[in-house]
Amino acid sequence: MKMHKELNIKNLVLKNAKVWNGKSFENRKEVAFEQGKGLATEEFDCGGALVMPALFGLGVDFMEPLRDDVYTFADGLDALHRGGFCGALYESAANPIDDADKLSAMKFRVNSPDLEYNFANRFDIKFLGAYSKGFGSDSLAEMMELAEDDCVAGFGDGNEAIPSTRFIRLAMEYGKMTNKRFFFQPLDKSLRKHGCVHEGAYSDMLGMKGIPRIAETIAAHTVLEMARFLQVPVHFKQVTCGETLDLVREARKKGIDVTCDVGLYHLLLDDSCLETLDSAYHILPPIRSAADREALWKGIEDGTVNAISMNHTPVLGQDTEVNFEDSVPGALSLEIALPAIWKELCARVGEARAIELLSLAPAKLVGAKSAFDENTQKMSNIVILDPNKPHEVSKKDFAGHVSNSPLLGKTLPSSILATFVSGVWTKL
Amino acid sequence: MSALQIKHLFGLQGVSKSDIRTILDNAKQFREILERPVKKVPSLRGMTVVNLFFENSTRTRTSFELAEKRLSADTVNFASSNSSVKKGETLVDTLRNIESMKIDIVVVRHKGTGVPKFLAEHSDAIIVNAGDGAHEHPTQSLLDMLTVEEKLGTLEGKKVAIVGDIRHSRVARSNIWGMTTMGAHVTLCGPSTLVPRNTELLQYKELAGSVSWETDVYKAVEDADAVIALRLQKERMDDALLPSMREYRNFFGITEKVLSEAKDKVILMHPGPINRGVELDSDIADGEHSVILDQVTNGVAVRMAVLYLLAGGRANENA
Repeated sequence: MKMHKELNIKNLVLKNAKVWNGKSFENRKEVAFEQGKGLATEEFDCGGALVMPALFGLGVDFMEPLRDDVYTFADGLDALHRGGFCGALYESAANPIDDADKLSAMKFRVNSPDLEYNFANRFDIKFLGAYSKGFGSDSLAEMMELAEDDCVAGFGDGNEAIPSTRFIRLAMEYGKMTNKRFFFQPLDKSLRKHGCVHEGAYSDMLGMKGIPRIAETIAAHTVLEMARFLQVPVHFKQVTCGETLDLVREARKKGIDVTCDVGLYHLLLDDSCLETLDSAYHILPPIRSAADREALWKGIEDGTVNAISMNHTPVLGQDTEVNFEDSVPGALSLEIALPAIWKELCARVGEARAIELLSLAPAKLVGAKSAFDENTQKMSNIVILDPNKPHEVSKKDFAGHVSNSPLLGKTLPSSILATFVSGVWTKL
Repeated sequence: MSALQIKHLFGLQGVSKSDIRTILDNAKQFREILERPVKKVPSLRGMTVVNLFFENSTRTRTSFELAEKRLSADTVNFASSNSSVKKGETLVDTLRNIESMKIDIVVVRHKGTGVPKFLAEHSDAIIVNAGDGAHEHPTQSLLDMLTVEEKLGTLEGKKVAIVGDIRHSRVARSNIWGMTTMGAHVTLCGPSTLVPRNTELLQYKELAGSVSWETDVYKAVEDADAVIALRLQKERMDDALLPSMREYRNFFGITEKVLSEAKDKVILMHPGPINRGVELDSDIADGEHSVILDQVTNGVAVRMAVLYLLAGGRANENA
C-alpha cells in the first residue's frame, strides 16, 4: 500500500498582487500567508494578478467507486486543485450514499492512502446523502444516521427527476427530523420523457426531442408546495429558466426557505450551440435559449440565485464520440470554470458578488469552512488569477483521462496562475 | 473545382440556391437518360459506394442503389440488422472499418440527428444523408422539388402545403429549407400534437415570412399549387398524440373535397409508403392530380445527380 506523500506545506509570500480584502482588490507589494514557524517560504511575483479566496464546487461527480473506469477521486481532487477549489459537494449520479457504511467508504476513498497525489485531507469534501435507497424512490434511505455525520450537507437523489409526489412527501417528512436541506434538480420525468435538448426553435428545426421549460417549473412548483406544507428547506440545483426563478422569488415572499444555483454552462451558452450538432453540448439539464440565459443572469444580478454550480460530470470519450442524441450527457467544468466566467461575472455583478457566488455562498450553503474568514478578514485558501491572460483550453488541462467540455479548443479570457490550499503551494 | 459549393449532402439547411439549382438541372438530364433504352452511364466507374442503413428502408435504399448502379459505381449494402453494430461496435468504428475497405461515398440513414455530419468529421469519404432522425431527408426534398418544377415549371412564388406529422418528419424539414430557398411559400398543417410546438420557429432566421402554419386543412390547402401529404405512423396513436386514425382522416386527411380548395392544376405528392384512407383517400392517390409515381422516378434521377456532382468534385480535387 502506498503511503501519503509528505504534505509540502509552506509559508507563502506574494509580491505585486491585487489581494481581496473582503470588499475589493487592493494593490499590495507584498503579502504573506503563514502556515507555521520553521516552514520553508515560497515567494511568487504575481505581476499584478488577482489573489482571491479559493472556490467551492457544487454539483461535482467523481464517479468512483461504481464508475471508476471513467473517473476517480484522485482525478476529482486533481481537478479541484487545478481549478482553484478548496472543497466541493460530492453528489454522484452513479453512487447513492444511502447508508452510513457507504458514507464511510466514500470518506475513506477521499482520504485514501492510495491517492497518487498528496491531496488527502487538503480539500473540504461534503456529501449529499440519498433520500431513497439506491435512488429508487420507493424506500427511504437511512437519513437519520447519515445526518449524524457533519460531512453530509443535505439530501438529494443525484440528478434523478422528481419521483412520485407521495414519495417526496414521505422523504421530506422523515428527513425533516435531520434539519438538513433537500436538494432537487427540478424535472418532471414524464414531461421530459426522451428529451435531450431545450424544447425551442432549434430542437424544432433539428428534429430533436426537447425538454420543455414546464418540465422544470411544474416539478419546482411541486417541491415548493411540499416545502411550504412541511416546512423543510429546499435547494434547486441548476435552474435553467427565468420562470423557475420567478417561482423562487414568490416562494421566498411566502416565507419558504428555498435556495438555488445555476450551472456554469447555462450562464455561458445558449441553445444556438445545437446547430453544431456537437455532442460536447449535450448537458443536462439542457442549455436553454438566449432569453433563458439572460433571465438566469438577471437572477444572478438581483440576488435570487445563491450560487453558481459546476455540474462537473466526467464522460468517457467513447460515450461522447457519437451523434448528439446517443451521447452520454455531461461536461467537465472544475478546471476551467474560474477563467471562463470571471470577467463576464465581474462585468455583470462586480467582484464582491462574483466571489460570493463562486466561493463563499456555495461553501456556506453546505456548511463548509469559508476560504475567507469574515472575522479576521483573511483568506485561508487562495487562487491566483490573471484576468487578462487568455488561455486556450486543451485536453491536458483536465484531470484524469477524460476531457468532455464544450470549451475544449476555445480560448478563455483569463488564466489561473497558482493555488495555495491547506498550505500547499502549486504553480500551474 | 466542384460544380457544388457543398462537399457532402447533410441536409438542405444552408445549401445555396445555386447548388440546389445545379442539382435539379443535372437531375433533369439524368431523368432523360432514364427514359433511354440503355440507362447506364460511366460517371462513377471505379468508385465504391456503401449504403450504410441503420434504419429499415426499402424505397430509399433501392432508389440509391439503382442510382449508383446506373452511374456504374460498385455498391455495397450495409444494414445494421445484420452488422457488427448489433455486437456493440461504435458508429465510428463501423465507419472506420468500412472506410478501410477503400470506399469513396457513404450513403447513410440513421435514427440520430446529425449522424451524417458526425461521420464526415471522422472520415474522408463523401457523405450523403439518406435520412437522419427527424432532422433532414435532403434527397427526398430534392426529388419533390424536381417534381414540382417538372409539373409546374418553377417553385418561385408557388404555395406548397405540407400536411401531416410535421413534428416527426425529416421530409418536412428538408422541404421547409429547400423549397423556401427556391422561392416557394410553405404552409404546414397538422394536429397540434404533431406540429412543432414553438412559434419561435416562424421567426427562425431566414425562414421568417416564408413559412406559415394552420390547423385547418382547408385553409392550408386553399390556393395551393402543390400538396404534400405525409405518412402517419401508427405509433403516434400509442404515444397518445392522436385519438384514432379515423379522426385523423376526418380532420387532416386529403380528400377530394379538401383538394378542391387548392388551385385547379394542383399536384398531389406523398413520400410513400401511403396509408390509403388515412392521409390520402385512395381515389385521389391514384387520381389526376397525383404525381406520386413521378416522384419515385425522379428520386433515382435526383440521387444520380447528387452522387455524380459530389463525386465529380472529389475527382477534380484529386486530379
